[in-house]
Amino acid sequence: MSDTALVLDIQRMSTEDGPGLRTTVFLKGCTLACKWCHNPESIACFPELQWHKERCIGCRKCMNGCHNGAISFHSSGITIDRSRCSGCFVCAENCPTEALAVKGKRRTVDELFKMLIKDCAYFGNEGGVTLSGGEPLIQADFASGLLRKLRDAGIDTAVDTAGNVPYAAFEKVLPFTDRFLYDIKLMDPARHKALTGADNKRILENLINLAHDGAKLWIRTPVIPGATDSEENISAIADFIHTCLEERIERWELCAFNNLCKSKYAAMGLDWAYNNAPLMHANTMRMLVSAAAEKFHSKALVSYTGAVQNQ
Amino acid sequence: MGKLKEPYNLSPRIQWLRDYYFKGTQRNWNNESKCFTTGASDDVIYDEFSFYIVPEVHTFFNTFAKSFVIGAKKLTLPEDFYKRSLPERKAFCISQAITEHMPQEVLPGDLLCGARFNISVTRALNKRETKAFVKAVRGKGGTRERLIEFKDRGYGNCGPTSGHLIPDYPTILKEGFSGRRKYFQALYEKLTEDEKRGAKGNNLRAMMLSTEMPVALSKKYSEECRRLADKETDPARKKELTRMAEITARVPNEPARDFWEAMQSLWMTHMLVMTDENYPGPGVSFGRLDQYLYPYYKKSIENGEDREFLKEIVKCFFIHANTAYDAMIRTGTNQGITAGYGQLFNLSGLGKDGMDQTNELTYMLLDVIDEMSPILEPKPNVRLHKNSPEKLLDKVVEMISVSQGAPFLLNFDERSMAGMLREAKKAGVEKFIHPGNVFEYASVGCLENTMCGNDRSATVDCNLNLLKAVELALSDGQELIPYTDSVWGKPYTAKSAAPRTGDPRSFRNFEEFYAAFLTQVRYIVKEIVRLYNDADNLRAKYCPTPYLSSLVKGCAESGKDITQGGAELNFVTIEGVTFATTVDSLLAVKYLVYDKKLCTMDELIDALIKNWEGYEVLRASALNKAPKYGRDDDEADELGRKVMEFWSEECWKYKTDTGKRFRGGMLSWNYWIGSGYILPASPDGRKKGQFLSNAICPVNGADINGPTSNSNSVGKVLGGFAEKGDYMHYVNYLPNGASHTITLNPSVIRDAAHKEKLKAFLRGYIANGGTALQINILDADMLRDAQKHPENYKNLLVRVTGYNAYFASIGKELQDEIIARESHKSV
Repeated sequence: MSDTALVLDIQRMSTEDGPGLRTTVFLKGCTLACKWCHNPESIACFPELQWHKERCIGCRKCMNGCHNGAISFHSSGITIDRSRCSGCFVCAENCPTEALAVKGKRRTVDELFKMLIKDCAYFGNEGGVTLSGGEPLIQADFASGLLRKLRDAGIDTAVDTAGNVPYAAFEKVLPFTDRFLYDIKLMDPARHKALTGADNKRILENLINLAHDGAKLWIRTPVIPGATDSEENISAIADFIHTCLEERIERWELCAFNNLCKSKYAAMGLDWAYNNAPLMHANTMRMLVSAAAEKFHSKALVSYTGAVQNQ
Repeated sequence: MGKLKEPYNLSPRIQWLRDYYFKGTQRNWNNESKCFTTGASDDVIYDEFSFYIVPEVHTFFNTFAKSFVIGAKKLTLPEDFYKRSLPERKAFCISQAITEHMPQEVLPGDLLCGARFNISVTRALNKRETKAFVKAVRGKGGTRERLIEFKDRGYGNCGPTSGHLIPDYPTILKEGFSGRRKYFQALYEKLTEDEKRGAKGNNLRAMMLSTEMPVALSKKYSEECRRLADKETDPARKKELTRMAEITARVPNEPARDFWEAMQSLWMTHMLVMTDENYPGPGVSFGRLDQYLYPYYKKSIENGEDREFLKEIVKCFFIHANTAYDAMIRTGTNQGITAGYGQLFNLSGLGKDGMDQTNELTYMLLDVIDEMSPILEPKPNVRLHKNSPEKLLDKVVEMISVSQGAPFLLNFDERSMAGMLREAKKAGVEKFIHPGNVFEYASVGCLENTMCGNDRSATVDCNLNLLKAVELALSDGQELIPYTDSVWGKPYTAKSAAPRTGDPRSFRNFEEFYAAFLTQVRYIVKEIVRLYNDADNLRAKYCPTPYLSSLVKGCAESGKDITQGGAELNFVTIEGVTFATTVDSLLAVKYLVYDKKLCTMDELIDALIKNWEGYEVLRASALNKAPKYGRDDDEADELGRKVMEFWSEECWKYKTDTGKRFRGGMLSWNYWIGSGYILPASPDGRKKGQFLSNAICPVNGADINGPTSNSNSVGKVLGGFAEKGDYMHYVNYLPNGASHTITLNPSVIRDAAHKEKLKAFLRGYIANGGTALQINILDADMLRDAQKHPENYKNLLVRVTGYNAYFASIGKELQDEIIARESHKSV
């Protein structure tokens, strides 16, 4: 279905998804399932229910509204039997506190376009709209239609991708995309597969193709404790960028691990392997940045972002 | 934990003056109020009208009235004193008090003269006048009693207040008071003999007399400087004092010739306005300082003077302006009161033909602000517009990033000028406000836009809780809860006189409810107009301010005191308080009762009477599910726009007997806190005792789509855009502008690239937003720590609604509020 897309969220005045001030639209569904994913609600390709315990006032309107008996109530709140949920979401509609929230809503290009241009005045010379996810290129036809419409309106466009889609998907959006924010997580294919659910062959090939097709690129590497944070991994990525992309990138951001999604996992009734993982140390991040920049002509290409702990 | 901004680049002179100022009561002398009396047993000194809009002090009126007289020094009155007209008596008393009874002192290193200006002087009424005035104010059915009931029943407050205007300072710099005197003399000579004996003549003579006051006082300062110079051993300081003696011998009587003279002339002239109004006038503002001081600055630079030394003069000026706070030096911990001065000045802005008017002096003054901050006065407003230069925006953003938020308020020319031009049409004063001069507007008080030198703007004189109209619509005009007299603690028994708009339980749809609401808005506007008008008439009759009148265009020409409507432009602003709570309440009624039918009207009314007790689920729906203003939701914002348009149109309908036109504004000072305890629970889910919304800001926490959507909503409810707007395509229902505060995440200033993003936000705000914006950048942890350890954060400045205050001095409630707002921010 290309006339609508499953939209997870829209974030306005985003300062972290490309140049300038941007409105970022998150499409739902991903071809990877990274163990550290900080948007777990973005992975599945269907709408999902979240329950935020701290907002619940125990009114039972959700339980009473559920035709499938999927919600049960007990002393510490509610339990959702997700296997019995038919996805009607009457429960969330009934919930007065928004403790129950549906993640994922189908929207048309025109609907989205109207919402995305509301902040036009703030985009200035650099800002614009970023299409993110999940993996926005799963819905490549829709993405292409939306990006074209934005481009026609003179708005700067960016696509934030993990790259694990057929190159044909990139070809659909390439003419209407000013810039790609592209993830390289791990260079080791086996570890990549073990930690994200897929190996990185297609991801790296697509990236080389994009560079050759002249796309503007911002590379992003999540720096995850025990997973991607080795100097070896960062240096290997630097090698790849240096040799295979000939440094044809605008910047490379090392994104320090973010633990704020703890509550998201809890809300979806999921365990998270990184529940107790510490934030990265500032020194480690600085060290990785210099390891990364070592091979580059322009050292300023590399920087780190995100919350860190100071020693 | 974030680092506090510290002053920097202060010379030993300024460092000493600044430190000394912050010693407060430990200073050898300060600017605490001194009282002066005629000696009459029933003398009236205390100006309670100026405090009608300060509910915190209503219960102290009797105490103040008595204690001011008891502690007052007796003036020496001439034999024919009571044969003179009231304005002449007043001018005489003020002048004698300040020039003959107050000492003249110059602090070590100070480059400007003029302190101890805060005096409370007898109203100079004779027996008959005193009796009539006291009865009309304090008697049964008098303005005081009515005002207190008005406030206690949750309507708001109003009173003819001092300050809040921009006197015609540039004319004094150019001509001096000697020039004014000649001009007034010429006007006087044109009067007929009858007119000379009547009110016109009295007023003009009083104004002429007033022009002698700054001259006499400056002469005394000149003598003091000479005395200090004679015994000074440091040759550099001796030279300064000698020069200061020369300057004060010359200005403000004669025209200023260079920057130092201009600053001295300006300070002396300004300071005495606060003297004249018997209260360190809130919001007596300077106007476009970088524009009218520029020729003097240029002259001094051409004369080879050092820019750094000129900065020193400005820094001394800043210190002097802060001494206004000495009036409250012992009681300054009350919420909001410490922040009540607001001597504003504007920087930059548009000029003729859309040209930007930023100049060297703009940047010099910005440097001074940066180096001196945090400091409370004077308060800068930087005017931005679509042609503002990058260099100015860079400086603005840089200053926001090193301070704890913006050390100034930002004013947005296009939307502001749209409001001023709309005002010109609505009030029929196109002669004084038109496309050829509207860019000369400036701000007073917190952010209120007015014209300069001829505008008795009277912003914040009326503060009306729009939410009261929702309560009245929900109760068929009869109020939902009993109200209690705040002075005696007795319940009010008088029935509400509001129109009977019908039992809301019988309303078939939202439109019927909305119609009832509009009828009640009409009523509450009419009520505040009536109450204000009565007090304003009393001020016009009994409380002239001849010195101030001599500084505002139109007064001498019309032969009327400024209180009598003498200025060329005369307005009274009715500030709409609780706008967002009101709009959200209407939206909630629509959503809960009519659209989703989650409850009946009867249940909603019962819930509000019971303060939502037993209605927690319904309240949760009101809070979380009902639409809200401030999210860039076109439907919700359109209702907000309709409310704004309607209520501003209602305001335009009225004039005081003295000819002052009412207009709508949107500024809430600290009333959104106090009235929250008075008004009942509201349909938006707010409980009684919770704060109301502030100025034009969305209800706290309601702006879930972030600062851009918040700003878009503000622009829309002010009128948005039209093909034929009031200025270009901008529409603005509120000529004074609207107070808007936004707290930004520190991430927007973390590095050079992000500072560009903040600039982009400002450019966006110029295009889409409101008239004035306060930007805060604070983090919750720092604030919590400041709450626990106020001693470590004495200089932590927070700004709310365009007034600023030291965090440690604003009281726990407001602190909690600011912390809560910080904590809700998404990361």
